[in-house]
Amino acid sequence: MNANKTGSRWQGLHLEPLWWGLFSAGGVCFAVFIPAVVLIFGIMAPLGIIDISYQQVRGYYASIWGLMFTGAVICLPAFHAAHRIRHGLHDVKLGGGLVSIIICYGLAATLSATTLAAWYLLR
Amino acid sequence: MAANKGMQQALVRVKRYLPEEQQKTQSEPFWQEFTVPFDESTSVLDALNFIKEELDPSLSFRWSCRMAICGSCGFMLNGIPKLGCKEFLRNYSVRTSPAQKNTATNTSITASLTVEPLAHFTVERDLIVNMDEFLIHLEAVKPYLIAETSTQKQLQPSLQTPAQLAKYKQFANCINCGLCYSACPQFCLNPEFLGPAAIALAQRYNLDSRDTGKAVRMPMLNSHNGVWSCTFVGFCSDVCPKQVDPAAAVNQGKVESAKSMLIQMFKGSTAHEL
Repeated sequence: MNANKTGSRWQGLHLEPLWWGLFSAGGVCFAVFIPAVVLIFGIMAPLGIIDISYQQVRGYYASIWGLMFTGAVICLPAFHAAHRIRHGLHDVKLGGGLVSIIICYGLAATLSATTLAAWYLLR
Repeated sequence: MAANKGMQQALVRVKRYLPEEQQKTQSEPFWQEFTVPFDESTSVLDALNFIKEELDPSLSFRWSCRMAICGSCGFMLNGIPKLGCKEFLRNYSVRTSPAQKNTATNTSITASLTVEPLAHFTVERDLIVNMDEFLIHLEAVKPYLIAETSTQKQLQPSLQTPAQLAKYKQFANCINCGLCYSACPQFCLNPEFLGPAAIALAQRYNLDSRDTGKAVRMPMLNSHNGVWSCTFVGFCSDVCPKQVDPAAAVNQGKVESAKSMLIQMFKGSTAHEL
């Protein structure tokens, strides 16, 4: 259909689907993993309901599971939050445009890079 | 509707706008209050017709079918976009205080309602808005079957199974009332945004097994003013009188748009069949 009207490879492309993809993936992580992490590390462990040893957690964290934990609990939710904040600011007519994009996703990217570097160094 | 004895009384505040009036006080939008008798079966549209017939014939509003089919009588009722024929005054009851007692008829006001023209559209007169602003968005997505044009194909019947029909049927129930555009904060901020109904309509044809026009519609949906202006507030689906769920269509559209852009990036052309 419409084979004669071809455009170039990059015509009309923009980064919004990328941010939205990270936002969607982060939303799933927010809904599925974060409540479990808060329950285990934020409530049950401090109250002494379960016993977690630092060495044991450190051992798990140094493995590939630690990388997956970082991605699912910190990086993707950070991009989810950044996307929400960016569009929230747009809704209340604050910021907008490139400045919002750089600040919101820049913070998420910095946080992600820091936690991934931490995993790499602690491995 | 006659003002029968024993009927309850409703206070209906209507936003008026009479641009043809010479007096400045009347050529700007103003509020006018009417006391309207109502019972269990009185719709908001009935109340407006009572006002026009009995109280003030200068009141202008659109209406036709009285059964939520034509989509003409969309108004902001207490600030929420709704169809006048589908809403009833009984749902706007208020607790009566002595101050609200109508001394002339010795009856109490038992319902109160404000009626305004649909938000985010240009008001032409009273409750009538310029629907062209909405219709050009609908036209933009090529809302018709784009099918194979070969004579051989045209002579064949376009068969469709119930399962193929079920894929798009919900989005085909739109009556073009425009309530979702009044509910959409993004359309308010950016009138260039295609909007919920147009995207639902594009999705309705993209999902139709008889249609081959998806490649033509995708560049429009892929743009910033296409599906990506939506921030998924979801109020469009809340106010939809036909349960079309345009917010779901927009989100499906985002998945399709992301796929379309990825394919374009790898195939190196915008002309592709998905």
